[in-house]
Formats: sequence, C-alpha cells, structure tokens
Amino acid sequence: MTGRIFSPGIEHKKARWGWVFIFPSLTFFALFNFYPIFNALYTSLFRKKLLSLKPPKFIGFDNYIYLVNSPDFWNSIRATVVFTIGTFIPMVIFSLILANFIISRKRFQKFFQMAYYSPAVLSSVVVAAIWLLIFDPRGLSNQLVNFILNTPGIDHKWLANSIMVQISTMLVYFWKYVGYFTIIFLVGLASIPQSIHEAAEIDGVNAWTGFWYITFPLLKPTTILVSIMSMLQCLKTFSTQYLFTQGGAPTEPINVITLNLYHTAIRDHRIGLASAMSIILFCIMLFFTWLQFKASRSDEVSY
Amino acid sequence: MKRFCFFLACAFLLIVAANAAESKTEITYWTHEDPNRTEIENRYIKEFEKANPEVTIKRVTSPSKKMAERVLTAFAANQGPDMFNLQIEDEYAYIVNGRLAPIDFKAGGYPSVKAIYDAYLPKVLDPVTYEGKLYGLPLELTNWCLYINDRVFKDAGLNPDKDYPKTWEEMVTVSEKIAIREGEIVKRRGFDFRYPYYLVSMVPMVEQLGGQLISDDGKTAIINDKAWIQFFEFMRAWGPNGKNLGSPTYTNARKLFNKDNNDIGMCLSGLYQEGRIRADNPEFYNSGEWRVVPYPKFAKAVKDAASAYYGHYFVVNAQKPKKNQEMTWKFIGYMLGHSEEYLAKVGLIQPTVNLMASQTFKNMPYSAVFKGDMERGKIVYYAGNSAKIQQHIREAVESVMLAGTSPEEALKNLRRKAQETLDEE
Repeated sequence: MTGRIFSPGIEHKKARWGWVFIFPSLTFFALFNFYPIFNALYTSLFRKKLLSLKPPKFIGFDNYIYLVNSPDFWNSIRATVVFTIGTFIPMVIFSLILANFIISRKRFQKFFQMAYYSPAVLSSVVVAAIWLLIFDPRGLSNQLVNFILNTPGIDHKWLANSIMVQISTMLVYFWKYVGYFTIIFLVGLASIPQSIHEAAEIDGVNAWTGFWYITFPLLKPTTILVSIMSMLQCLKTFSTQYLFTQGGAPTEPINVITLNLYHTAIRDHRIGLASAMSIILFCIMLFFTWLQFKASRSDEVSY
Repeated sequence: MKRFCFFLACAFLLIVAANAAESKTEITYWTHEDPNRTEIENRYIKEFEKANPEVTIKRVTSPSKKMAERVLTAFAANQGPDMFNLQIEDEYAYIVNGRLAPIDFKAGGYPSVKAIYDAYLPKVLDPVTYEGKLYGLPLELTNWCLYINDRVFKDAGLNPDKDYPKTWEEMVTVSEKIAIREGEIVKRRGFDFRYPYYLVSMVPMVEQLGGQLISDDGKTAIINDKAWIQFFEFMRAWGPNGKNLGSPTYTNARKLFNKDNNDIGMCLSGLYQEGRIRADNPEFYNSGEWRVVPYPKFAKAVKDAASAYYGHYFVVNAQKPKKNQEMTWKFIGYMLGHSEEYLAKVGLIQPTVNLMASQTFKNMPYSAVFKGDMERGKIVYYAGNSAKIQQHIREAVESVMLAGTSPEEALKNLRRKAQETLDEE
C-alpha cells in the first residue's frame, strides 16, 4: 500500500500565511462586532432591567411581540424610513454631481475637496449645536430664507413644526456627509482611465452622453458602495435627532429607531427590549444591503 | 556583594512603596458641573485628605444633562463611582434595585439614624428612605420661583413693584405687553417655561386646577380630565400656534436671564440662580434691578401649589468595599458640615433645621420667598418610572403647542402611555 504524500502548492502556502496575517484583525472584529451582536440577540430574549441585580427572566420572543404591537415602535420605523429615503437618495445624487463638478475644475480642485469634506470631520455634537443656533427662530435660517423669499417676519418653525423638524434633520445630515461621499466618488472617477474619455471625445460624444453612457456605468461599483454606505449611515442616525430633541424639538416626528432604543435602554432601563430593537434594526440593515446588491447585480467592472 | 545588597534594598523599598500605595483608599466622587460648588468642594477635599492621609478623593464632573446617563452606564457595567449625586427622579431606581449602601451614621458624624432625621426638616429624607433604611443625604433641595428683570418691565412701561404676575392669567397679559415681535418671530419674550422639567414646573399647574398625575393609591395615571384639558389649553395658547409667547425651541429663558440683554423678562429658577447671576453678570446682580416673586397660581385654582421641589442626594455605591463606604460617608458628613457656606457661596439649600433657622439663610436675598413657596409645594414625583412619565407629559405638551393636536387627543394619548408605564412597574 502506497501512501499519498500531500505536498501543498505555493498558493496554498500563501493562503495559510494570509490566514495568519488576518488572524489578529479577525479576532478583533469578532470580539467587537460579532460578540455584541450575539449578546444583543441573547439579551433580547430576556426581561432585563439595566440596574437590577436580580437574574434576568427568560421571556422568549415577548420583547419582539411587544414591539410589533407598539405604536411608538412603528412610529420609529416610519421616522427612520422617512429620514433614510429623504437623506440618502439626495446624498448619492448630489455627491456624484459635486464629484463631477470638482473633477472638471482645472484649478482649485484641492480647495473644493477640502471645503466639501470639512463638515465630515466635525463632531456630530458640534454640528448639531451649530445648527440649533441656526434654526433658532431668531437665527440665520429664518433670516436667510426670509431675505431670499422677501417674507420678513415669517417663522418657518425649523424645529417646532413636525414636518419642518424632519426636513431640518435631513438638511444637517446631508450637509455633514455629502462631502465625504463626494470624495469617494472622486476616487472612483479618477480611477477611470483617461484614454476612454479621449476615445469617446474623438468619436464626437458630448459631455452628457459621455457621462451617462461611459462614466456612470464604469462608476457602478463606486455608486453601489456609496449608496450602501450612505443608506446604512442614515439608518443608524442618532446624534442629530438626539441633540435636536434636547434643544426643544418635538420627539415624535424624529424619534428614529436608534433614539427610541437609547431612551428605552438609558431612560427606561429596559435593556432586553432595547436589545430586541437593535436586532430588528440590524435585520432591516442587512435586508436592505442584500436588496441593493441583488438589485444592482454587482458585476466587476474592468477598464 | 555590594551590588547585590543595593538591588535587595531597592526591591524592598519598591515592595514597601507598593504596599503603601495599596493601603491608600481612593474615593471616586461623580457630580454635575457647577463652578461655584467646585471651588469650595475642591477645598473640602484638600482639607479632608490632610486630616485623613490614607484617603485620596477623585472628583469628576459632567454636564448635568449627561450625569444620569454616565452614572447609569457605569453601574450597568458594575463600575460605578464610590459616591455620586443625581436628581431624586433619576436616583430612586438605584435605591430600589439595591445598588446603594444604607447610611453609616457613625461615619457620617451622627450618634444615630434618628438623629439624622431630627437634624433635617420633616419629610425631606422620605425620598431616600426605603424599607426602613436611609440611603442618602441632601446636597441640595431646590424649588423654583419667578425671577423678574425690572429693567425689562420698565422698558415695557410696567411697574415691577405691582405689575408682576401673581396668576397664570396675568402672566399671559404681562408677557404680551413685554413681548417684542418681528412678524411671527419673538425678539423679546416676557416669560418662558423650563421645558425639559415638566414634573417640577408644570405638574403643579395641573394640581392647582384640581388634577393629579398619579392617584393616591399609585394605581391610576392622570386624574381629573377637566384640569388636564384646561392646562393643555393654556399651553396651546402660550405656544407659537396660539398667542405666540414662547416655545421649547427658543433659547432656554433661564440662561438668557443672567445676560440682561433685554430679551427675556422673567424665568423660573432656584435660589442657586442668584449665585450664577453674581458670577455671570456682577453688574446686573449688584444693580438691584432684579427680584424674585412666588410661583404664580391660576385665578380659577381650586388648590394652592407652588413649583415642586427636587433633591440632589449624596449616595454611596453598595458594590464598593466596606472600608470605602465608611470613608465615603465620613467625607459626605464632612462636606455637609459646611451647609452655610454651600448656601452663601453656591445658593444651595441643604434643608437642615439649623440652616433654615440661621442668619445666613435669612440674609440671602429673597430666601423668604423660596421658603414660602417650599411650604406651598411638595416633592417632585419620584419613582423608578418618573423619567418616562415626564417624557410622556413632554410629548403631550409638545403635541398641543407645536403639532396642533387637540387637548382631548393629547390627554387620551398621555393617559394611555402613562398608564402603560405605571402598569409595567
């Protein structure tokens, strides 16, 4: 009987070293991402009070059943969906437009990049504090809009009206993150070989047709990346809504899932229920990410 | 050999130093920001550490709005400080969940627990008494009265001596006279409420009209619909969709008051506000152009009620070693031995019998007004669910003031949510 001697190839050896190299980051990722997810899932099956020293009581899916029947939770779903749709779609469109605008500039490209990106480096707390002053009835927003529309003395109730306060949160979020996604689009645009544009120009393609039939299809992976990232970011929004409500804005219209979750855990001490909310939010995010991948049928683009 | 002896001596010294460091007790003290209080408490810490060299005190401050959250997350991870103070509405849950240590009366400087109750005004220790044990001592007991800027009154053609509002109805008429508007935008407000604090400042308005937040047996939420609806109608008329006299979205009236910028005529605040006016704007403080008057009452009130009073109580973490707990109570006892200085320099009332009878209290401007209103008021609603109940009231008030919801609809929603919260307990 002859034994087979297994001799791993060079690719196999490389792969083994690859595992060795990614092991630390994989461990780190598992510890700080997977563990909290599984822990939240486990906690969501219990009635657990944050301060209680008594052992939590196992209640199965009662927390989920409670949430499904809770009008407040459905209001949070509504607020999150409205905010996400109202923010991430304009953000993807405008960041693409801004990236094209910047790349078409012959001068001041760096200046525009910095100018658009700068709000993204500000802390959300600082951003919300600045915008609270702007949205004060006596603040800049009313003055500016009244000057443009020639409507002196009108209070547009940026934080007081239930529709306006939703628009205000979208505006702040859009302002803060549009530059960030513009930079990602810029990187995508810069990676398209110049020769393709030159060939199109020689063939007599105008700017709009060139963008629509050449640039945009080649940007598909970047567009998918930006749309998924921005959508996930919008679903997780918290600090703007939190600080606006602290500043006197009504809670109900902007009570997004994360804000509701925070109040349930920190104000009401119901950590089991809050964990169930976080698991539902996680599932929503997972579903929409899968849906976007599926809808875009993401194929690799080669130049 | 010499080298060996040298290393041996070094090692010995290191061990001795390590043991000495270990035998030192570190007490962590978390509290909210208050510059006037920081100054005197840092001095107390130095004095206490000098008298007790085996103790070091680490005082950590946070913004008052962040305190409840920071303490909660620390306790959730079993990493709470040795001592802290919070408003009783937030603190009560720690008592009922067994997170706090009962008072060590000897360490606190008292011969018995009864002696502590005797030293304080009646009922002020009730919120920190649970199942026959005492869990805290008050850093401050605060009620709110009405601060008036005389300059704003005079500028509006009013005489602050006799035109100040005694009723909520007068508050509306006086505020209308003071208000300066540019179209719909109010440039100068007569008065505005302290919106996040509905339990302290607005529930008493309902009580004046005969309503109650929770029934006497603690089982039913929202008593007397008529009173609640009258209150909601008042708030709707106050807001931007009514007489447009104020709104939660304008800058906090109490913060603006100290600046004396002719943009707010009146605000609600505690005795501590006097110290803050003195620190923020000495010219205004010394001008004598401000005064404090009692909390108004509805003309059609069926019951007298002033703003509720709330307490910040010093409490001790039960999860810390006994040695730390004992030393912490000793430190608390030392700090609270300076109640006259707390009053004079920070404007905080530590409601001991001695302090209330002291010349220092009597000499504080308008202390008699605060004392009178404290007798008219009662302790704020405190329970494990009080923060949530407050949020429900807030949503109801906001819905009538800002979203155009009818008072009847707001009441219906408030009752549903408050009762559900009550039943959860």
